[in-house]
Amino acid sequence: MLHRMNPSVKFVFITVSMIAMAFFFNPWTPLVFFTGVIFMQIAFAKIAWKTWSLMMLPFLLGAIGYFWTTLVFGNEDSTIGTALSLSFRVLAFSSLSLLFVFTTKPVDFIMSLMQQLKLSPKIAYSILVGYQFLPVLKDEFFQIQQAQQLRGVEVPKPPVKRVLAMRHVLIPMLAGAVRKAERTAFAMEARGFTGEGKRDFYRKISVSRADAAGAVLFLILLIGSMAAGFLS
Amino acid sequence: MHNVISLEKVSFRFPEDELPVFEKVDLNVSAGERIVITGPSGCGKSSLLYLLNRLYPENCDGIVSGKVELFKKAAAEYAPGEINQRIATVFQDPDSQFCMQTVEEELAFTLENVKVPVGKIDERITRVLQETGLEDFRHSVIQTLSGGQKQRVATACAWVLEPEVLLLDEPLTHLDPVTAKEFVAWLRELHQTRDLTVIAIDHQVELWDGFFDREWQMAPAKVSSRIVKREPVHAGKIALSAKALAVSPILSPISFSLHQGEIAVLAGPNGSGKSTLLKALCGLKSTGGSVEPKRIGYVPQSPEFLFLTKSVRDELAFGGGDQVDEMIERLYLKPVSEAHPFAVSHGQKRRVAIGAMLCDGRPVIVMDEPTAGQDAAALTELENLIKARANEGVTFLIVTHDMNFAHRTAETLLLLKNGQLSGQFKPSAVWQNAQLLNAHRLCAPSGGVRFASPHESFG
Repeated sequence: MLHRMNPSVKFVFITVSMIAMAFFFNPWTPLVFFTGVIFMQIAFAKIAWKTWSLMMLPFLLGAIGYFWTTLVFGNEDSTIGTALSLSFRVLAFSSLSLLFVFTTKPVDFIMSLMQQLKLSPKIAYSILVGYQFLPVLKDEFFQIQQAQQLRGVEVPKPPVKRVLAMRHVLIPMLAGAVRKAERTAFAMEARGFTGEGKRDFYRKISVSRADAAGAVLFLILLIGSMAAGFLS
Repeated sequence: MHNVISLEKVSFRFPEDELPVFEKVDLNVSAGERIVITGPSGCGKSSLLYLLNRLYPENCDGIVSGKVELFKKAAAEYAPGEINQRIATVFQDPDSQFCMQTVEEELAFTLENVKVPVGKIDERITRVLQETGLEDFRHSVIQTLSGGQKQRVATACAWVLEPEVLLLDEPLTHLDPVTAKEFVAWLRELHQTRDLTVIAIDHQVELWDGFFDREWQMAPAKVSSRIVKREPVHAGKIALSAKALAVSPILSPISFSLHQGEIAVLAGPNGSGKSTLLKALCGLKSTGGSVEPKRIGYVPQSPEFLFLTKSVRDELAFGGGDQVDEMIERLYLKPVSEAHPFAVSHGQKRRVAIGAMLCDGRPVIVMDEPTAGQDAAALTELENLIKARANEGVTFLIVTHDMNFAHRTAETLLLLKNGQLSGQFKPSAVWQNAQLLNAHRLCAPSGGVRFASPHESFG
C-alpha cells in the first residue's frame, strides 16, 4: 500500500511528521515512532531488507555517536533521557526518509510534484533529464578514470585524497555533460516544449484510496508516539 | 508549388563574435521537396537549420538580418513552440535527445507539449508506432536501444506531431554505415506514406542513395590540403604483438602483431568488443594472455578524457618526456601551446592527445572511433596526422566504421565479430569480399571517392 500512495501525499505526510517530531524531547516519542515506521514497512510494503539494513547502518552509528557525545560532553542538564531522545530522533528521521526512498519511484515522484504540488514543468523535466543522464555519466566517469590511469595518474588510497583527486575526472565529465544538456534542451524545445505551467498529462498520477489509508496510518502513528511521550 | 521556407539575404551572427556565421544566404524550399544542405564544418549549416525551427535566434541571442519566412509568415511572428508542431526536427546525437524513460512516455511528452487533448494521445501514439513499425518498442526503455533504434524513435517523435516539414540535423553521424543505410531505407518508406518536405544536413550524401531531390551547397568545400604521402612500411620489426589476449566473456583469445610504422584499422559490428580489445591492449582491462610492449598509447573518442593540466605544453610534458618542444613543433601546436587543452579545436585536442602519448614514450597508439562525426576537412586532417606519424615509425591501430577512411589510410584490416578476430586482412582483399563485409556490417569504400571532392548537384 505504501508503494501505491501518491508520492506527493506521502512526501507531505513525511515532512509534517518530521517537523512534529522536532518538538518532542523525550526519548519515548521518537522510539515509538521509529518502531512504528518499521512495522508499517513490514506490514504494508515490500522492502529489500538487506539493502535497507546496509543504508541504515551509518545512521545507526550516528545515533550511537550522538548518544555517547551528549552523555560525555554535554552540560549538566543533559541526562540519559535527552541523550536517548537525540539518538532515537536520528533513527526516526532516517527510517522515515528510507521509507520514502524505498517505496517511491523517483520518476513518479517528480511527475507527482508537477501534477499535485504544481512544480514548474521546466524544473521537473530538467530533473527527469538529469536522471536519464546518470547512467551515462557513470559510464563516462569510469572511462575518464581509466584514460587518466593510463597517463600515470594513480588513484590514491586515503579516502580524502581520493575525493580530491576526483576533480581531474569531474572536469572533463562536466564539460561533456554541459554539451549534452544543451543538446537535450534543444531537442525538447524542437518538440514544442516551452516550459509553461499549464499542461495536461497523459499519465496521471492520481490521489486514491491508498492515500486516505496511508494518511490515517501516519496520523495514528504520529498521535500514538506523541501520546507515548506525554504518558511517560 | 508554393514555398514553405524562404530565406532572402539572411545573415547570422553570434553576439560574442565579430564575424557573421553566414552572410546573405538565399534559400527557397517548396512544399514536398527533399533537399540536403552540404558544406564544410563551421559554414553555419546547423545555425541555419536552427533558424528554421526557431531554436535560434532566441537561445543564443543571435543577430539575424534579412528575411526569414516560414509558411509565408515572418519567423519572428510565431509564438514560442508554435512552429515546432509544423516543423519537426531529428538531431544527430542519439544519446541526448530524449528526456523520458520509455518510448511511450517520450511520445506522450511530445504530444502534451503541443496540447493534444489527453483523450487523443493514446490513439496518436498507437498510430505513429504502427506507421513507423516500432510497435514492439512501445514500452522499451530508450537508453537500452541501439543507436539506429534511437534515431528511429527520435524520428517517430517528430512524425507524431504530423509536421509539414521535417528537419534532419546529421542523423546518420553516429550510426555505422550499414545501420545508416537501413535507417535511410526505413525513412524512405515512411516518407512515402506522407509527402512532407524534408530538409537535411549531412556530409555523407552517398549514404542517402538518391533520397534527395536536390543538394544545396551552402558554402564551397574547403580546398583540401595536400595528403601526406605514405612511405612504405619496413617489414621486419614488430612493434606490437598480442598473444592469446582474452577478456571473458567479451573477447575470446586474440593473437596478432603489427609492424613498426604500420597503420591498421580494427572494424566490426557494434558490441563486437572493439573498445574492449583496445582497452585490453592498453592494460586497462584485466586480461589473459600477453601484450608487447607494455606501454601503449590510447586516444579515446573524446580526447579531452585524457587531459589533466592547464596548458597544451604541460599536457605534453605531463609524462616527463624530454622532446616536448620538438613534438609541439611537429604537431603544429605552437600557436596554442599555452592555451588550455579544453579550449582548442577538436582536431587540436586530438593532436595534443597523440603528442602526449608520444612524449610519454608510447610509440604504438590505439584510437577509438576518431572518424565519427567528422566532416571531409577534419578527416583529411586526421589522415595527414596519422600518416605523418606512421612515416616517422609510429604504429597505429584505429577503430572505425568508415571504410573510405580505412581504404585511404590503412595497410591492414583487423575484423572482429562476437569477440573473435575473424582475421588480419589486406584492405583491398576485403573490399571484394561482399560476404566478409556483410558479416561485419561494413560497406565497401565508394570507389575510393573522398568526401572532400565536391558533390555534383543533382536536380
